[in-house]
Amino acid sequence: MKSNTFGWILLAPTIVVLFFFGVLPFLYVVYVSFHQWNPFAANPYMIYNGAGNFRQIVFDGAFLASLGVTVAFVFFAVLTEVIVGYLLAQAFMSDFPGKAFFRTIHTLPLIIAPIIVGSIWKLMTTPSIGIIPHLLQSSVGFDLNIGQSAAAAFIITIIMDVWHWTPLVTLTLIAALVSLPPDPFEQAQIDGAGKWQIFWHITLPMIAPAVMATVFIRLMDALRIVDEVLMLTGGGPGSATRYIGVHIFREVFPRTNYGYGSAISVVVLYLTIVACWLLYTGMLAPRKPRKS
Amino acid sequence: MNVRVKLGVTVLAVALMSGTALAAGNDDFWAKAAEPYKGVVLHGVTESTPPSNYIKDVLAPEFEKKTGIKVDIETTSWDQMYDKAIKDMEAGTGIYDVVYIEQDIIYSYLARNFLTDITKALKDKPELKASTYDDAKFTSFANYFKQDGDLYGVPMEAFLKIYCYRKDLFNDPEIKAAFKKQTGHDLKPATTHEEYTEIADFFTKWGKDHNLQLWGSTAQAHTGHPASWYEFFESVAPTFGVYSWGIDASKNYAATVEHGGAMNSDKAKAALKWWLHLRDIAPPESAQSTWSEVATTFAAGRAAQGLVYGENAAWIETDTSKSKVTGQVGFALPTLSPGVMDDAKSGKGYVGYYDGGAFGLPVTSKNKEAALLFLEYIGQDEVQPGWAVAAPRITNTATFDAPEVKDMDVKLGGFYTMLKDEGKLFAGAPPYPFHAQVREATAPIFYDILTGKIGPDEGLDKMAAKAEEELTSLGYRK
Repeated sequence: MKSNTFGWILLAPTIVVLFFFGVLPFLYVVYVSFHQWNPFAANPYMIYNGAGNFRQIVFDGAFLASLGVTVAFVFFAVLTEVIVGYLLAQAFMSDFPGKAFFRTIHTLPLIIAPIIVGSIWKLMTTPSIGIIPHLLQSSVGFDLNIGQSAAAAFIITIIMDVWHWTPLVTLTLIAALVSLPPDPFEQAQIDGAGKWQIFWHITLPMIAPAVMATVFIRLMDALRIVDEVLMLTGGGPGSATRYIGVHIFREVFPRTNYGYGSAISVVVLYLTIVACWLLYTGMLAPRKPRKS
Repeated sequence: MNVRVKLGVTVLAVALMSGTALAAGNDDFWAKAAEPYKGVVLHGVTESTPPSNYIKDVLAPEFEKKTGIKVDIETTSWDQMYDKAIKDMEAGTGIYDVVYIEQDIIYSYLARNFLTDITKALKDKPELKASTYDDAKFTSFANYFKQDGDLYGVPMEAFLKIYCYRKDLFNDPEIKAAFKKQTGHDLKPATTHEEYTEIADFFTKWGKDHNLQLWGSTAQAHTGHPASWYEFFESVAPTFGVYSWGIDASKNYAATVEHGGAMNSDKAKAALKWWLHLRDIAPPESAQSTWSEVATTFAAGRAAQGLVYGENAAWIETDTSKSKVTGQVGFALPTLSPGVMDDAKSGKGYVGYYDGGAFGLPVTSKNKEAALLFLEYIGQDEVQPGWAVAAPRITNTATFDAPEVKDMDVKLGGFYTMLKDEGKLFAGAPPYPFHAQVREATAPIFYDILTGKIGPDEGLDKMAAKAEEELTSLGYRK
């Protein structure tokens, strides 16, 4: 009992901070989501709206389009990051000249603020001054203009996200790979297992918790991407890269549609939780050992 | 020494002594009036522009030296500036004592009672009134920041969005001859839309034929940023006779032609098609260009002509470290459809966008008196000339006659003269308190027009309907 009390005392500061800066704002967002509230409307005050905002979301073409393009972005970005991150982690597991140098260099994007990442990629992709359009034009004659081509803008935002966040995946997977015991691998090799069999039946199950944690982190981050995209494309061309975070930003800040924007935020939070649960169930649950 | 010389010397001495005494008197006022507020730190937020940076780097330190009141000016991006200011005033936290008010947001701020009535505040506290500050000395641009005759923001920048053209190209004998041969007309700055298009087409072709990085026009046509929306509704559509975004406040805020608006009128559709053609023959970066990138494109010598925000005029024309076309820029009025100039002269319409902003005092400020002193300080005639030279903005009538401003006017090819003489033909954003809301509601459709997802006619129809829907939702349209 005594140790329990001491534990709570130690936890108290964190709980207080979390309550005021996490729980309370969240409850306020939920509260606002049941209201119609635009401070620049003829009536600038909150008007109780019941589930009106949530009903509107279901039929909101702009929101659904934004959600669709976000799901596609998250799928391609996170999948690419995990695959490339794993390959890089495996590469860093072996020795080669300059390994320490390359490992340091490859983590540098992680320490760059998202808004700066967006600026860098904007400079690199702007026609006439950007290195990427220049190289593509001079090497294969392709005119890259992410201000005009929806597909190009979508792909570039994925590449930008992969560039920015793959190092995080790599570092996490390196940590997981380093901690693996050598015995199962030696036994598998003695038994004549191939590389693919070793990966699929030994490595992957053993690093699955680390992969899962990484995917969760990246999934949640990718779903709320705003800064980089806002700087790079502004959500354009058209609504090609108006991901859900950008959509909420435009709805809440410039349009000051606080009520509806809050409702979208709540729905997106719910969808994120559901996506994580589905992922957890799909990837980890089947691998649980049977009791019989 | 004869009598005339003695008299001259005496007059000069008296004048110098009076000037010195006046300056000392002014300094005394600032020190005395600020005495109770010495040590106060004022916080301000503004968009990072040359005029704002001048306040931060020059005027704020000067003010602190004279008063002991420190002014911490935060210069940030346009979006962030609004975000921070609105949140502060909405929540009533009182972080900011001075906020930038762009001309187009003033109506929203006034509707929400965010701002202090500066005229009344100075009347209520006469001990804070500086003799060197007089709001009657502001140009007519100050009227945008008035309600019932009282001032709610001290104007700090005002520009015209003007037609810029490359004098070196327009005067090149080879180009002139080629233009004459191709079009049958003399090459001169355009006055009509047809002339402008003809020139733009010619230069884009000229650039291509001669393997030059040169196009016929700029276009502020970002496919995901409000800058493109603004270029069309505030700079292009008015030149075709579509004013106030095509929304008629007197007709229940109608936007569609069906209800008496003009957002999807034939004139608006013609304007959009004209502009989309220019976008198609503009430099490729135009699809990612906001206001500042257009100026950069022009300064890089990549466009023969274009509509450029006046705040960039000075550096494009004079700063060799940033501009490749210094000394080669001509300024003219935007090209117009028949009847628009008459509308502008009679006050029914306008020929282009009068951009600018003011510094206001939030009612939530905790240092109102000190902030009032600072606003007076930046509104005085005596600080204006240096400010106008550093950034091409003029907000006080006396500034036009200052010698350094006149010199700069010559260097800028008469830009200030145009501001003085033709400024009345331009107008700021319409007096709507729902500025950002209607823009954000309709902008996605506008971006779809820019990407070709929908046609301009259908797009404007949808935009007008969406604008009315938003206005109804906001409670302005009954």
